[in-house]
This record gives sequence, structure tokens and C-alpha cells, in this order.
Amino acid sequence: MRFVSYPTLLLTASVVLTSSTVRADETPLRQLIDAEVKAVWQRENVTPAPAASDAAFLRRIYLDLVGTIPTAAEAREFLADKDADKRAKLIDKLLDDPRYAEQQMNVWDQVLFGRRPPDSDLTQRREGFQKWLREKFAKNEPYDRWVRELLQAEGWTSEGPTMYFAQYKNDPESAATAVSRIFLGTQLQCARCHDHPFDKWKQVDFYGLAGFLVRQTFVEGNQNGKRHYLLVEKSSGEVLFSGPAAEQKPGKKGDPVPARYLGGDLLQEPPLPAGFKEPELKGIKTVQKPLFSRKQKLAEWITAADNPYFAKAISNRIWAQFMGKGLVDPVDDLRDNRPASHPKLFQAVHEQLVAQKFDLKWLVRELVNSQAYQLSVSGAVTDASPRFYERSRVRPLSAEEIMASFRSATGFDDAVKAAGGNPATTKTPEATYFLPYFGEPTNGRGDFQASLNEHLFLNNSGSLRQSMIQPRKGNLADRLLTSKEAWEERVDELFLSVLTRLPREQERKKFVEYLTADKQAGAAIEDAIWVLLNTAEFRFNH
Amino acid sequence: MNPLCKPVEHINRRAFLKGTLATAAGGAFLNFGSLFNSDSIAAEAKKLGKKCILLWMNGGASQIDTFDMKPGTDNAGPFRPINTKVSGMPVCEYLPKVAQHADKLAVIRSMKTSEPDHPGGIMSMHTGYRPAVNVPYPEIGAMVAKFNGPADSDLPSCVHLGGAGYGGGGGAGFLGPKFQPFSVGRDGRLPSFTTPYLKADSEQRRNDLLRFMEQDAAKESSAEPFEAHRLAKEKAWRLLQAKGVFDASQEWPKYRDLYGDTEFGRGCMMARRLIEAGVAFVEVGQENYDSHADNFTVHKATLSVLDPGWSGLMTDLKDRGLLDDTLIIWMGEVGRTPQINNRVGRDHYINGWTVVLAGGGTKGGMVYGATNANGVGVKDDPVSEGDLFATIFTALGINPRAKHYVGPRPITAAPEKSKVVKEVLA
Repeated sequence: MRFVSYPTLLLTASVVLTSSTVRADETPLRQLIDAEVKAVWQRENVTPAPAASDAAFLRRIYLDLVGTIPTAAEAREFLADKDADKRAKLIDKLLDDPRYAEQQMNVWDQVLFGRRPPDSDLTQRREGFQKWLREKFAKNEPYDRWVRELLQAEGWTSEGPTMYFAQYKNDPESAATAVSRIFLGTQLQCARCHDHPFDKWKQVDFYGLAGFLVRQTFVEGNQNGKRHYLLVEKSSGEVLFSGPAAEQKPGKKGDPVPARYLGGDLLQEPPLPAGFKEPELKGIKTVQKPLFSRKQKLAEWITAADNPYFAKAISNRIWAQFMGKGLVDPVDDLRDNRPASHPKLFQAVHEQLVAQKFDLKWLVRELVNSQAYQLSVSGAVTDASPRFYERSRVRPLSAEEIMASFRSATGFDDAVKAAGGNPATTKTPEATYFLPYFGEPTNGRGDFQASLNEHLFLNNSGSLRQSMIQPRKGNLADRLLTSKEAWEERVDELFLSVLTRLPREQERKKFVEYLTADKQAGAAIEDAIWVLLNTAEFRFNH
Repeated sequence: MNPLCKPVEHINRRAFLKGTLATAAGGAFLNFGSLFNSDSIAAEAKKLGKKCILLWMNGGASQIDTFDMKPGTDNAGPFRPINTKVSGMPVCEYLPKVAQHADKLAVIRSMKTSEPDHPGGIMSMHTGYRPAVNVPYPEIGAMVAKFNGPADSDLPSCVHLGGAGYGGGGGAGFLGPKFQPFSVGRDGRLPSFTTPYLKADSEQRRNDLLRFMEQDAAKESSAEPFEAHRLAKEKAWRLLQAKGVFDASQEWPKYRDLYGDTEFGRGCMMARRLIEAGVAFVEVGQENYDSHADNFTVHKATLSVLDPGWSGLMTDLKDRGLLDDTLIIWMGEVGRTPQINNRVGRDHYINGWTVVLAGGGTKGGMVYGATNANGVGVKDDPVSEGDLFATIFTALGINPRAKHYVGPRPITAAPEKSKVVKEVLA
């Protein structure tokens, strides 16, 4: 850890050991977060940013919870509200909004699949999986329960959670790597070819885990006229381990490795009956159960409340989703020898999450109600996610968030309605460009990198211009153009629609000048909307 | 900007304003007055590290019908070898012009690679690594752009003219979108979204309004992503200012005979224009060598297009003093079987095939490695894709052990155990 000197670490660690017996569940988590974050500011002599304005908070919470910016009307209502408790009330309202489930589904869909999963012809048709996942968030089903269901997935890839494993079909090693990384926050991939150089994992740990998934079998078939697979678990089959990759020779077959819980015991399983023969699977249409399910054992072990990694991994991931950086960074690399930046806080978060029975909505509510989450973005720190949480993090909007925010900002849905259409079934124009150009805006470490294509598209797409930015009956440009209000008022409406805030004095003046200069009003309005959509302020959640 | 003015002169305008020119290594030297007064573009280009042009033989060209001919064996086929000024390096009769450059070619005849199919081969022959689910390896063009590209230029540092296409070779991978290859048409035509819909003065007014907003916002927060976003916007505008370089219509008639009047020939000339303009890496693709049937018809046609394009490029670069600082790589994703199948075709082959390097950083007039007498299998000095990439990076002045971190995992530019084929380096 590069931020804290080594003796300090030892000291912090020992403090944690002695205080771990003191339970903190009397204090609401949000207060504990603020107390711990503040303690580190004092220790590190860090000056935090001031609290975020109502407008900044409003935009941030909409994007984080429901994946879009608010409309100008929603912004006006919130800004005018005099209730001292209005932020907490808005949080409660958005957590119950149907778009909350959609947004969390999108976030997790990316965690589980990424933008370019293997066998894209199959995996891009994962509407069934997305529907399943969306329902989990809509019902706020406990995290351990839906993960258990996911890990035990069987049946057709056209519905339910099965598609998750289909991206690793015939590759139990990659499946084991992904499962341990995402759900246990451990990086096993090094141990695939050699013992892990910086962590305790040996190759046998890796192959032992893969042993739980090696019996998964994908039987090819057809659903709704498309290629899909029936996922079943066989009763036999072992992972073969042939030693370190560097020492492998062609023709060396390897020895079977028994299934073993990560860092724990060997799996106890009944022996196969004498003379057992695996039934023929080709062409089957319905699930066949194995005599003994290894996947079920793995799912139970991973999601158990006392699993040493599971609660830590999810706490850290949710923390990072809302606070920018994990308490252990990166989020999916928990190690015995890598302490959290705020050890006591990290412990409280995962212990309380277990006590709350893996209620993710509870955790999100506590996080976004904290003062630490509600700081402004100002200050001299250049990091996208400051290490001591001394100001708000800056994260690029995802492709989905950008599209939703474009629609909201430009009044696209109002124009669809005015033309007699249904916004819910109207696709975002140019989605085929938004997805690749805004889909992966980071390097391998999650740092934002701007792409040329993104800007060429925004600058020069005539179709984007016509469908969203130019006046169409009912949309923002049309509203501004046909309004009878003073230009000052119209500029306010423009800023609220796109940036969720009122203009500063000099901005209002400049935009009024621009809109009333010797130019066609429609063209000038179009320019003004385009300008705000192209600001860095719009591009990020901050 | 004056369309005739070469963008390399704008390589580092900001640094110039400060009176310094940043070098690729990150150092800086005093440069007052010298930037616009330099002897030649070649001299400027030298300061920026070597450039690279990849001639990508999509589908996989046949080694036994080009640079590793086995006359008199069952596998020979109908093509005849012609001798070159380098003894021991005969080449196919359909590459007579390339043959004249034999003294500048380093022919590696012992490629032994791991991906027999197109997608895997395209990926591994662009990254030096076998494809992996967990690591988005960057393709060679993105690596060259990162290490040898100008720090600040109007043009993208990595340009594709056809070839493996968007993402097929891995794209920028973990290096991030800053180094994403910029894909244009095979002959240099610009892609979508490079033609403004506003008139120049209207666009200028609109852009100035955006600049006003961004200047204001910059005072509010120092967060890096905001700055990265603003710079990318400026860069997109500057690209359109510099896009004249993609319009070769004036120059083409003079060079048509040299490069051959084909899309590929025109792409080769465009590669030279781009290198001259400061672009660090250009990939020119040629379709399609995948001759599972009628191998000889396919190769006769494709080689006849390749010959003037490639040789014209060598001649032109040499005439302009750029060849010593520009590495040319000739390769595809696989070789082809020495045996001729029952459709007079040759299938994919990875156990003994050929890649050719020329120019920047390499030793010409040499053959490295050998296949067996009938072309089946490597006899001497096998070279893996990792070894090839370690060699290419070294030729370009890039440390093949340079590390990048993907999450916590260090990834070297070329695979860790790969070896540099020193024999082919100058």
C-alpha cells in the first residue's frame, strides 16, 4: 500500500484486533462512515471539500440510483423544496423507483459480462438473463440468495441466470476465475499457470475450485428459433492438472485434482456407484439432475454468512460503486496481506451487511445518506476517486446512462409522445454508435480515457442532431423556441434540463447574448443545447 | 491550417510555444527556431522514435509460394522461384519488384505459432499473446502509438487502412481509448463523422461557446477526467483541421504507376503520407489470402497486387529518407499448409511459416530459421508469436519487457519468456 507508511499500518492493524470485539451495530452505518472517514482526514491532515449543493446532489443521486439525470421540472421541484429532510426523502423515493432495478441490473450486467463477452453471437442475446436480474433488484432479493441461484443455474440459456455460465462453456477454469474474482474478490488467474506470486494461492487451489464447475455441460439446442444451450451438471468428470504451465509437455495428460473449497477443506462426496455410466445427453430437452451436485455445494459455501470472502467482496464492490474507490482497491483483489484504507469501517460495513441479511438496498441507502457521499467535487485533488474520500468521485457516465440522459435533457420522449409514439418502445437514436463509443471509456485500471470517436460522433452526427437536438414538436429546442418567456428564463430552463442546475450569472449573460445575437433563433438554440451536452460537466457523474 | 502544410510540423505545438520539443522518451530539449527550420521531415521524424507499417495479409498468405519455396518437392506447386541479389533468398516469380529489395528484407522462415484459426490468429498476431478472457491485450499499433507516437498531434497515432478492422486485432485493449486505432477506408477514405454539418464560421461560434463553458468549469474542479474530456474535444477539432492529409487525389496520379493502380496500392501510398505526417503506426490490409481452394489462382492475383504496392512503398520511403526509421512488417494470421489439398488449395498452417521484416531497425538481406526440405515443420530456430513481437518491439526501440498493470497483474509488452531474434536486428 503506497499511501501509508509501514509502521502506521501495523499500528492500525493492532488497533483493529483489539477493538473487533466491540460491536458497532447500535450506531447507524451512515454515521459510522462519516466518523471513520473524518478520523482519517484528521490523521492525514486532509481538508475535505464542502458539502455538495442541492443541485449537484440531485444530479448525482439520480444517475447513481436510477441511471439518468432528472428533468427540469423534477429539478425545479427539488430545488424549491424547503424541507430539511428532502435529500433523505428523495433517496427513499428513488430507491423505490422501477428505474432503480433497471440501473442496478445494468451495472451488474457489466460486472458479470463486460462489453465483449465470449461467444458474442449467443451472449448478446441475454434478455432472459437481464430480466431475471432486474427482478432480483426490483424485489430487493437478498444478495446471497440470488447469487446462490445464479451459481446453481441450470436449464436453458434463454431464460433465468444460466447465460452467465454460457460465456465460459467448456472452460471451467475461466468460470472458476470469474466466480472467485466477482463473488469472492480474489484473483486466482495467476494460479492457473503457476503459484500466485504475491498471494497465498497455489495452483491446486485454483484447480480445486475449478473442480466444482468441471461437470457443467452445455447441450446445444434451439429456443425461439435461435441457438441456445441446456446447462446440466453431470455426475462424473474431473479437472486434470499437469503441473506448472512452463513445465508442460505435449501429450502429458495430468492427474485429476479433487474439488476443494478455496483456502479450505476438500469436498466430501459419495463415491459413484460401481459401474456407473453417464447417461447420453445429446439432444435432451430438459434438465437432468446429477447423482450429487458439486455446484450446489459450491454455491452454498460461497454464499454462507461465514464465508471468509463473500460479504467483504460485495461490501467493497457496492462501496466502490457509489464512493468511487473500494475500501480495498482494486475491488476484486482482497488479500490477507492488503489492509483496507479504513480497516474499522471496512469491518463494520461487511459485518452489518451480514446482520442485515445481505440487504443491498439497505447498504446503498446508508452509503448515499452519508455526508461523505454528499461532498462537492471542488478542490485541487486531481484523482478521479480521491484516496481519502475528501471530495466526490468523478466517474464517466456509462453508455446506458449517456443515452438515458440525452433523452431526458433534450426532451426526446416528449417529442415521441407529441408525435403519437410510445417512448417506452422507442429506441434511442444512434444507439449503435453510443454503445461502442461510450461503452468502454477506461484503460485496464478503470481510469477514464477520452476517445476520438466519441467526439467525432457528437460533433458531426447529422442524425443525432436531427433526432434529438434540433426543434421537434414537444422537445427542449421546440420548448425554448416557442416559449414566450424572457430569454433569461429560457436559459434557466436550458441549464436545468441539461446540467440540472441554474446558470451562473456570467453564463446566463453569455447565453442570452448568443441566443439573441443576429442569428436565426432555431439555429442558436440548437447550438446552445449541443454545447451543454458536450461539456465535461455533462459527461461525468460528479 | 494550410492543407499543404505537413502536420508533422504541428507535432508539438504547445511544446514549441514553450520553446521545447518533447521527445518520445519524455525528455525535452531546447528547440527555439529549429522546428520550422529543420532540414527535412525525416529529421523531425527521427526525434520521435521509429514508425511502423504493417502490411496485413488477411486470411494468411502462403509461405511456400512466396518466400520459402521448395522447388522439386511434392509440395512445390506451379510457381517458380526467381533469384535475388541475396544468395539463398529466392522469391516467387510473382514478386519480381519486391525481389529487387531483397537486400533490405529479413525473412523469418521458422514461425511456429499457436492459433490455427482466423479470429485467434488475427488476435495473437496483433498482440503477441494468445487470446485470453481476462486480459484485453492491446494490438501492436496501439503499443507503437503509445511508445513512439507524438505526445500531442493533430492526427491519431495509430491508423488502420482496412486490415484487421475495428477491434479484430485487439484494439487499444488495456492501453485505453486514447490509443484506439483510427480506422479509415482501405484506400484512405475517411470514416463517418468527419464531415461537419455546420459551416466553418457557424461551427467556430458554437465551439467557442463550448470553450467558454469549459474554461469556467475548469476553475471549479481539478479532477483529471474533466481535463481529459476537454483535451479529447480539442483533438477531435484538430483532426478535422488536419484531415487534408487523407486526401491524396492530387498526389495519386504521380504515384499510381509506382504503387500499382489498386486499392491496396493506394493504401500503401497513404501509409507513406501518414508516416510522413507524424503518424506512428499504419496498418494496410490486403484481402484475401484464405485459399482453401484454388490456392494458385488466388495467390497469383493477390501477389500481383502486393508486388507493386509493397515495393513502391519501400522505394518511396527510401527516396524520402524514411526507410531507416520505418519498420515494415509483412504478415498475416497464419501460414498455409505445404501440402496441396484435393481442391488445389492450401489450408491453415502454424508449424513453419514466414514473416518478413524490412527497414527500420532490421538487418536486410538475410534469412532466419528454416523449415524442413518439403516445407513441413520447422527445422531450425523456431520463432513464436511472442518472440516475433519481442523482436519487433526491440527493432522499434520499445522495451519488450515494459510493464502495464491490468488490475494487479503486470503484463509485459511481449510475453515474459519470449526471446528477441537478435540476428535480424540491425
